[in-house]
Amino acid sequence: MMNEPIEVIARLSKRTQALDWLGLFARLALGGVLFAAGAIKIPTPYKAAAAMRAYELLPNSLASFFGYILPWFEVGLGLLLILGVATRLSSVVGALLMLLFIGAIASAWARGLSIDCGCFGGGGEIDPNETKYLQEIIRDIALAICGFYLYFRPHSRFALDNRGK
Amino acid sequence: MASKNNNRGPQRGGRNNQPDPITRWIVIGMVSLVVIIGAVFTIVSNKSSSNVALPPGASKEDGYGIVFNADKTPTINIWEDFQCPSCKRFEQTNGSKIYELIQQGKAKVVFNTLSFLGDESVVAGMGSGCAADQGKFLEYKKFLYDNQQEENSGTWTKPYIISMAATLGLDETKFAACLNTDKYRKWLTNLSDAGGKANINGTPTVVIDGTIIESDPQGINYYTPEGFNAQLVKYGIK
Repeated sequence: MMNEPIEVIARLSKRTQALDWLGLFARLALGGVLFAAGAIKIPTPYKAAAAMRAYELLPNSLASFFGYILPWFEVGLGLLLILGVATRLSSVVGALLMLLFIGAIASAWARGLSIDCGCFGGGGEIDPNETKYLQEIIRDIALAICGFYLYFRPHSRFALDNRGK
Repeated sequence: MASKNNNRGPQRGGRNNQPDPITRWIVIGMVSLVVIIGAVFTIVSNKSSSNVALPPGASKEDGYGIVFNADKTPTINIWEDFQCPSCKRFEQTNGSKIYELIQQGKAKVVFNTLSFLGDESVVAGMGSGCAADQGKFLEYKKFLYDNQQEENSGTWTKPYIISMAATLGLDETKFAACLNTDKYRKWLTNLSDAGGKANINGTPTVVIDGTIIESDPQGINYYTPEGFNAQLVKYGIK
């Protein structure tokens, strides 16, 4: 009887540890992809802006504007997630960004455009046989799940957020 | 806003977690600073400016491109990046036809040089302005396509471009002075900005009287002489 609470605590802490590792995985997946996607696009801002214009969703000048700033935003958000700073806020922003991307890609697909998502550089019009809308959407759904998971359970291994305990 | 939620109550499933606020805010501050500075820098450095050295023949009204036969109609704008393999293909397919149109005065032809594929595009693009200074834009352009290498392979450095300029009969000293001082770097920025405004999202893109010639999956419009000529005929060019 005496042992019971200790066992419960031990079991709970095991579960907590596993979830913390899962949190780390989610952080690195979403943060790593965001950071890489941004970093690849930064050296070629014209391409990034052109990829954004190719969606034909925003007025030309606004699309160019977002095309110029999005890579920097992705790099910043990715850094915060990789370091585990303000995990809850940055993960939900990351997840919402993914939903935005999913919406944009789905709309391009539905309107019969044939473009590359331009997620990792590239972008713009491509051969209709080369579009990868479904793969792009599935990837972004997986990343959005990572983000929402962290929103509901932000604690994770090796996060700067854990410091000072 | 939502960051306040971070501090509200114990986090579910986690240990009671009191983050170290100083480290956290320093990191958040530094990351935000990098993002803001980077974004502002990107926007500012890609904006066109009004007091820019233009090579002879370049016209602001034509997207800063180099104009041949300014008084003729219709207007053909050719947006290209000297490093882009498809541009080379387009040049090899239709280049002679376009030079013929220029010589026979059958159209106004504007070459708008984009430089979005990397630094070597910028060097090659600045060189095109320097070649235009000496009236050899077309010869220079043709030479680049004839000697195009893989994108950003490290071939098109300033010394390389200067040495090849000599073989085209350009005054090497003048050309070197022009290229080494980045005389036409801002001109390229203006061209890119104009390309964005004209909704040019890939190269090569041909625009006739303001209408973009759509590329097709089979590459007929751009990469077969018959297909391209058919497009020209639509605008009365035979």
